[in-house]
Amino acid sequence: MINEILGGIAVLMIIRIFLERSRARKLVYLCCLNFAFSALIALYVKYPAGGILAIVYFIFSTITSNAIASSLEKIYELEG
Amino acid sequence: MEILNILICWVICWLNFVIIDTFFGLPEKPGVRGAKVIGEKIKKIGGDLNGGYFMGNIVCSPDASAGTLLASIMYYLMGVDGGILASFFVWIGNRLCADPGYAGTLGALSITLIIYLLSPFISPKYFIVGMVLAIFTIQGFEHRYASKLLGEIYRRLL
Repeated sequence: MINEILGGIAVLMIIRIFLERSRARKLVYLCCLNFAFSALIALYVKYPAGGILAIVYFIFSTITSNAIASSLEKIYELEG
Repeated sequence: MEILNILICWVICWLNFVIIDTFFGLPEKPGVRGAKVIGEKIKKIGGDLNGGYFMGNIVCSPDASAGTLLASIMYYLMGVDGGILASFFVWIGNRLCADPGYAGTLGALSITLIIYLLSPFISPKYFIVGMVLAIFTIQGFEHRYASKLLGEIYRRLL
């Protein structure tokens, strides 16, 4: 039940990322996908190391989003 | 019974991270670089600017939403120690993203306390799926209405 809900949300988010045109709003859907994915990692790998893996995955995907969003901001500033 | 547990956890997680993030001023201004552009894009499709900043800050830095998810994951796998360990990792993530606020750490500690108090009744794994559903209603369902709701909560609370 739990894994099905999480997997369903992840698949729905992948479809929405494909359909979304705006690059900045793709990142918002990607954030939701990351949440679902790190929850799935922890539920499948039922050891404390799996939890550490989920945390590392989540925090570094957030840093990636941060980097992409700040580059987008720079680009929009340059374009005016 | 399972569905009821999931619904209760959904509401608890939603309230936990929205209240803590609003008090730490996420909707007020784009705290980290990059949150501004997401807020402005959401305003452009007819949403609310403050709600957009809130969503941009969640995307760009591990805030109370991340703290809630990671603490419930670690509580599920390791118990109370795991929740405290998760809050430490979220604090490191906050510093890596140059985030001045400590909303993530406080969110992780508060959900650890809530799960500990509710542990005789609800298993911690329901909090994991509850948090993913909560972030789905904010970030994944419909940005326009979610940002309006968050902006409204911000103006009512502060």
